[in-house]
Amino acid sequence: MAKAKIATVWLEACAGCHMSFLDIDERLADLVEKVDILYSPVVDGKDIPQVDVGVIDGALGNEEEVHLAKEMRERCKILVGWGDCAVFGGINCMRNFLPPEKVLEEAYTDTKSTVNPEKVIPGEDLPALLPKAIPIDHVVKCDVYIPGCPPDADTILWVFQEILEGRVPKVPANMMRYD
Amino acid sequence: MKEIILTIDGKQCSGVAGETILEVAQKNEVTIPTMCYLKGLTPIGACRMCVVEVEKNPKLLTSCTTPAQDGMVVHTTTEKLFNYRKQVLELLFAGRNHFCMYCSQSGDCELQRQAIEHGMDSVRYPYLYADFSNDATHPEIQLDHNRCILCLRCIRICAEKVGAHTLDLQKRGWNATVVADLGKKLGESDTCVSCGACAQVCPTGTITLREFAYRGKRSQCDDAVESVCPLCSVGCRFKAYVRTGSITRVEGLGTEEPDGGQLCHKGRWWLPQSTERDRVTVPMIRDGAGYREASWDEALSFVAAKFKPAYERGKAGALLSSLCTDEELSLFSGLFRSGLKMEKVDTFDGDVLRGFIKGLDPFRVQGVRPFTAAHHILDSDCIVTVCADPQEEAPVVASYVRVAVLRDGAKLLNISCGEDPFKGITDVHVTMPGKAIRPEFLNALAKTIASLHLSESDTGTAREALEPYRESLAQCATIAGTDPKVVEEIAACLIQAKKPVFVLGGCAAKNPDTVTAAVNVAIASRAFFDDGLGVVPLVTSGNSLGAANTVCASESWLGEEDLEFLYVFSTGLIPEDETMLASIFRTRFVVVQTPYLVHPLVNMADVLLPAPAWYERSGHYCTIEGERRRLNVIVPPKGEVRGLSTVLDDLAKDLGISIERPAVPPCEAVFASRVAPSAAQMVLK
Repeated sequence: MAKAKIATVWLEACAGCHMSFLDIDERLADLVEKVDILYSPVVDGKDIPQVDVGVIDGALGNEEEVHLAKEMRERCKILVGWGDCAVFGGINCMRNFLPPEKVLEEAYTDTKSTVNPEKVIPGEDLPALLPKAIPIDHVVKCDVYIPGCPPDADTILWVFQEILEGRVPKVPANMMRYD
Repeated sequence: MKEIILTIDGKQCSGVAGETILEVAQKNEVTIPTMCYLKGLTPIGACRMCVVEVEKNPKLLTSCTTPAQDGMVVHTTTEKLFNYRKQVLELLFAGRNHFCMYCSQSGDCELQRQAIEHGMDSVRYPYLYADFSNDATHPEIQLDHNRCILCLRCIRICAEKVGAHTLDLQKRGWNATVVADLGKKLGESDTCVSCGACAQVCPTGTITLREFAYRGKRSQCDDAVESVCPLCSVGCRFKAYVRTGSITRVEGLGTEEPDGGQLCHKGRWWLPQSTERDRVTVPMIRDGAGYREASWDEALSFVAAKFKPAYERGKAGALLSSLCTDEELSLFSGLFRSGLKMEKVDTFDGDVLRGFIKGLDPFRVQGVRPFTAAHHILDSDCIVTVCADPQEEAPVVASYVRVAVLRDGAKLLNISCGEDPFKGITDVHVTMPGKAIRPEFLNALAKTIASLHLSESDTGTAREALEPYRESLAQCATIAGTDPKVVEEIAACLIQAKKPVFVLGGCAAKNPDTVTAAVNVAIASRAFFDDGLGVVPLVTSGNSLGAANTVCASESWLGEEDLEFLYVFSTGLIPEDETMLASIFRTRFVVVQTPYLVHPLVNMADVLLPAPAWYERSGHYCTIEGERRRLNVIVPPKGEVRGLSTVLDDLAKDLGISIERPAVPPCEAVFASRVAPSAAQMVLK
């Protein structure tokens, strides 16, 4: 049997969800018997290839992230959202109470610890911020949601196993967490 | 009470007419998810989680507010209901800013639990991201409106159980917020009593207690142990959450209890904080300016050697805490009173306690129980506070008074020499010149009311009925040095009252005659409850009633002469009185047994013995709630700390005597009654 192809992408989030993925530990060896991880922060890959399972970790906060989310959606059969950021928006939503310009000022000039006498705010060389940080399903259809900050390694593994068995799983209450 | 039969999820469920669908379901062990509902508080159907389908009714009905009817066929678990409830949860999450990963209540949160149980793995609605404030103005309680689901539990418990009615709602719809005192911040509130009941019932992380948030969540705790608060005479039952051997938080029991599951500011903060205090861990003997550690054997034989000569000269005393349990007091009484026949044995609150004992004794000898359970204040239609400051002395009693007045419209009368303890809600306030109220006034009032009751069976015409008694009421007023109109007002309220209750403060006990006179007024105004006379004596500590017939002296002796030996047992929870400390200081040899390094008491000790703290002991308290309540060991004692029975047995052995165990526990005599309260006779000297 051909191995299932997997791509994971790390958008607006901390590294927690991917760390939790690595926390599958020795079972990772069994998993890679059955899957090929073609694109991920933990492997070397330039572009998202056509895959069976695409995973997005993180919310959407700028145009590049929206582009990557759409690209992932186009190139995968089943899209999985990892973590509170992808599912609910997560900690990125802290900025949703301010307009994006204010957020940039807060980050690059206004904080007490910042030394920026010319008040330079990076602009053209960085992707533009969306008005608000949003969960991925505001832009792309998501098939499997795994909330959690981060989700447990067991849950991440369980979802992969279910998909490998040909099912599109829904995380049961005893595995679900929001923190 | 008409019995009704419902079919809930195919199960025949019986209930009583007037009950709601939810109540019938719960009685019959059918679980319906709820969020804003709390047993004991007025149901309001705000959250819509408890919706059910009733056949032949096209609407979904909130089971917490819909009265159950005979023959109803109810469904609680259909797919439609499940989806509807999930939708409610998603809307709650989208409406405010619920982010579990940085909420201190994640894991304890009922909103989170329900959402997970309903499989909410995403939210289908756009979040509002409305910018709500976080009110952190109160030193202990934090109110973060971002996490509020407007279940109004806090508002209801504050109004219906604490009686403070500090919290209410402002604005409408999604902009509605919980607010203190008509728009103030919580920290600026004049009415908040800082009891933390709002935080105890909050289902989310909206109202949190800083102290507890930092100590750990309920869900992280290994155990929750029920026990009794030792800090005042009410003896509130509570649940202590324990995490790795330390107490993280204390909470009252259910909201359906008479006390509404509340604790006062004392219990809520002092109890957990006291677990961090410095302890006396090993026996210590004074050595020059400091102490040296000693073994129990050495310390106790040293104590016994110092005790004997002082005892033989009649110059040995024992000063004990009435925060001790019945069992501990029985031991003390067995050693010092029965074994050693010592006169000089007393409790720290002896003076107040003696005032009550002597004042109530004339009624006790009649076979009547001269007091009623404190929560019966809630059943009263006229409350009289006599020299009492319940918010200071026994805060939960103050809650009962406020709730009876504000919720049920009871009259509130205050007779004292000082300030009105319930400013703003008192109907009649009599303040007398001088430092203590005169028992003659109360006795005169009692006589007048008694004759009024005898002459006028229908008290509906109280004002007219008072006419022939104008003169005697005027005499009462002269005794009190107050306005006759005010005394008339009091008399009118008391003869109209169906179930008056008299709350006697510790100040009243300065003069036992005042206590007796107040009880006379209670008898005259027919303050009769099933369990005793309508009197609530605010004795000082958790087990003062138990101390009353075990170790409390018949006369005060401390300070009369300088003693040669004094054994002091302090629980370290209530600061010692200055004059008592002065008397202890003047004693030649002092043994202090205490759990904590209580200053300045420990500095006066020649021998310092460790004792188990409140959370390391078990036993019983006689509370003014009219019950014998059980204390449990919450965390077992560590190290050299020994239980009192072991220590006193060893001491008795060194003294060559044995401890007599009483046949009857202290409480039985306290709560005993042979005669119905209505048979009580006034005692007029």
